[in-house]
Amino acid sequence: MELRWFHVVLWGGLIAGMFLLPQVVSNGTLRTLIFANYLAVFAISWDVLSGRTGYVSFGHPFLIGIGAYTTAILTKRFDVPVEVSIPLAVLFTMVAGLLVLLPALRIRGSYFALVTLAFMELLYQLVQVIRPDLTGGTRGMSGIQTLTRGAANGYYLSTALMLCIALSMWLLMKTRLGTALAAVGMNEESVRGSGLSTTRLKAFAFLTSAFIAGLGGAFYVHYLGSLAPRAMFDINFLFTIIVSALLGGTSTIVGPMIGAFFMTCLLEYLRPVLPGAERYFVYGAIALILYMYQPKGLVKLVQLTSKA
Amino acid sequence: MSAALEVSGLVKRFGGLVATNDLSFSLQEGESLGLIGPNGAGKTTVLSQIMGELRQDSGTIELFGQEISALSTSRRIQAGVSRTYQIPRPFGDMNVAENIRVGLMPDDIWKLIVSPPDAERERELALSVGLAESDLLRTPSELAMGDLRKLEMARTMATAPRVMLLDEVFAGLTAGEVAQISELIQSMRKDGMTFLIVSHDLPALEPLIDRAIAIERGIMIAEGAFSEVMNDKSVQASYLGSV
Repeated sequence: MELRWFHVVLWGGLIAGMFLLPQVVSNGTLRTLIFANYLAVFAISWDVLSGRTGYVSFGHPFLIGIGAYTTAILTKRFDVPVEVSIPLAVLFTMVAGLLVLLPALRIRGSYFALVTLAFMELLYQLVQVIRPDLTGGTRGMSGIQTLTRGAANGYYLSTALMLCIALSMWLLMKTRLGTALAAVGMNEESVRGSGLSTTRLKAFAFLTSAFIAGLGGAFYVHYLGSLAPRAMFDINFLFTIIVSALLGGTSTIVGPMIGAFFMTCLLEYLRPVLPGAERYFVYGAIALILYMYQPKGLVKLVQLTSKA
Repeated sequence: MSAALEVSGLVKRFGGLVATNDLSFSLQEGESLGLIGPNGAGKTTVLSQIMGELRQDSGTIELFGQEISALSTSRRIQAGVSRTYQIPRPFGDMNVAENIRVGLMPDDIWKLIVSPPDAERERELALSVGLAESDLLRTPSELAMGDLRKLEMARTMATAPRVMLLDEVFAGLTAGEVAQISELIQSMRKDGMTFLIVSHDLPALEPLIDRAIAIERGIMIAEGAFSEVMNDKSVQASYLGSV
């Protein structure tokens, strides 16, 4: 792992800046940034799997949903304390990740994307019809225990979670493991031809991605205090996660973070002008222009600009 | 003493096509064997079966006395056999050093996390195949075909093989690059490496091998010293397309 002085400075500056932000911005902005933090967590989770290994998941809300529903059901229906329900939610999500992994060992490309999309749709249908007394059926659940009160505390918690995940994943991906996972995305056969078990590497990527998605989903539902299946498994939510990662720059960890903040702020500040779904056309157009100009995302754009 | 590589009764069918038909040969440690035949003879298919990229329908493959047919490709590489490809398969977004790094990686997630890359070994391997120090930070798209072949050799050597399978190692190279790669193979032979070399460039292949086997439609048609094989009537017929 090659850590340079400017890495420490940049991360230190980011952490300090984010924790000082509540001193200077309004509660409304903080609520927007809380969503950006959770979106960054989900985008990093997607990036660890899809950005690195090239296995494009269209079903990440499936994993996030498992985490969210597990802790919501355990705390609300069975009075399990969150200290227990959140780890259990993460564990359940990882088991669900293994279920997705099984077909992934045999297929990739658009077929894998479709299978993961099917998993998401399957869970969407299941939570509405199977045991609605537990899941809340089509209306979802409300009155779920929240972990914090007030925008500032919610912001601090989501920021701490996001930065812990981002920094640990960034450090992990700086190791040879990160190189190996990226190699799987570039040429899986050559990785096998280099004596590495791609099954093991893919399993690691799936489980790590599921761990982050489950953790993020569980904390997110305990921030919202409610859970609506229609919003959780909404195709716009899925594409917001994917576009955040792509826009920021896949396989970088920092890119999905930047993409998530860019996307959230863009969507939020367009709201007064474009209150409906037409806002998504704007981000679609921005994404398209960026891909045409710099397919490796905002991070690459910043790198090239700073070099110039 | 068991052979470095022993292939017995290998059969591989693709539907009605028999790509490898009861093929048997062996390779002693330190020996260099040429595998020749016209286009579509099934040479690459043989290499793919030895590496486990294709599973044979029947027959056995032993590496230093160990039956490896049931092993995955990565396990076979760990057992000591590695290959290069007709079309080099580098990791396009990684530089030369990182490409070699992948070949040096242990098949152990924990070790991949805790142990740092060995930059000195990466450099040594790159220089040993004739790449320049300045190439280490270049990406594959910035390399000529000859250097891509060298990179492929370096990544293959990084897996510490005892038997190397080279597939059309001279394809697309200039005369100068062929000479460089030949020199590299010769020096590795002196160090005791065992080779199975597939090549259409017969003049370049001849000095690099101890003996040759010729196959046509997956069947062995001649075996022996290179000159004997090339003088064999069935080999000449297979290359010239006449009887």
